[in-house]
Amino acid sequence: MTDQSQLERRYRRLLACYPRAFRREHEEEMLVVLLACARDGRRHPGVADSADLLRNALRIRIRIRIRLRLTASRSVPSVFWGVRLMVLAAVFELVSMGTVIATERAVRAAVVRHFPRLSVTHLTAAVHGQVVSVEIGAPIAAAMWLVLAWANDRGYRWARVGAVALFVPTSMSLLAAVGQHAAAYALADLLTGGGLCGIALAAMLLIIATDSNRHFDQGRHGRGRCPTTDQRGSAASLARRA
Amino acid sequence: MQEATFLILTALASGSQHGYGIITDVLGISDGRVRLRAGTLYAAVDRLCADRLVEVDREEIVDSRLRRYYRLTAAGSERLAEEAARAQSNACVALMRLDSSSGTQRA
Repeated sequence: MTDQSQLERRYRRLLACYPRAFRREHEEEMLVVLLACARDGRRHPGVADSADLLRNALRIRIRIRIRLRLTASRSVPSVFWGVRLMVLAAVFELVSMGTVIATERAVRAAVVRHFPRLSVTHLTAAVHGQVVSVEIGAPIAAAMWLVLAWANDRGYRWARVGAVALFVPTSMSLLAAVGQHAAAYALADLLTGGGLCGIALAAMLLIIATDSNRHFDQGRHGRGRCPTTDQRGSAASLARRA
Repeated sequence: MQEATFLILTALASGSQHGYGIITDVLGISDGRVRLRAGTLYAAVDRLCADRLVEVDREEIVDSRLRRYYRLTAAGSERLAEEAARAQSNACVALMRLDSSSGTQRA
């Protein structure tokens, strides 16, 4: 392997620190400049060049991230609010869990009063089983809402389906609680569950609204590009072929 | 406007140039004081493209390598003129004050 090809390979490794869209746009010409500026016989990138590349790669990544935050979700209000409601749903999952844990004793007593014919041991075990299932399920659901909020903000299409998929068990658990007459013995739990369900429903409707389509049509690869990418995107491959 | 950005726009004011051309021109314009590196140059060029102050003029393939030429846009020329006028005005005031202060000290 020649000195220049070794140097090129090492420069490419450094250039890999840049965002993909930036590399697609500028990698080949940057490489030309880096090789032109390097002294003959050099095999390793200089310290100053390496530091300059790494520093600017970081700056560009931060700049793109800020630009994405400012333009992506704000440009489509339904997604902007849908994503924030998903974060709120995650918070509400934990609030619901806290309510269920805090009211366990009161609920148990109310259940015993509500079902006088059933054995206390059986009812206590049933209530405790419900609490344990919430203790396990709620943090998982909260984490899933956060992941979906992030993914919807980034414009991943699967996250749209995920919002609907996660709303289904959320609403089903509320309906199940209503079906078990929870209003009679666990009103606080039911109200927080209802609040969570309302937030989840609003988030889902905003995300699947037709207004949100253009956010997902752009996708994550459609944003953060250099403005010239669309016109010049094929230039790099042209150079490689030539 | 940062000095590197000002010098890149100045280098492009006389016509389109490719990356290496800009670096050598900036080195000449600044009397060897500002040596742009590739990372800094292309970060600035990318930002200038995004701000529509600079645009791609043409592309050439030389020795199987891409060479892309950039040029100033009308907005870029206007912005450079504004910055140059501001720098000139500031420099005039600085020189005038230095002149008058050295005159006072002599007196």
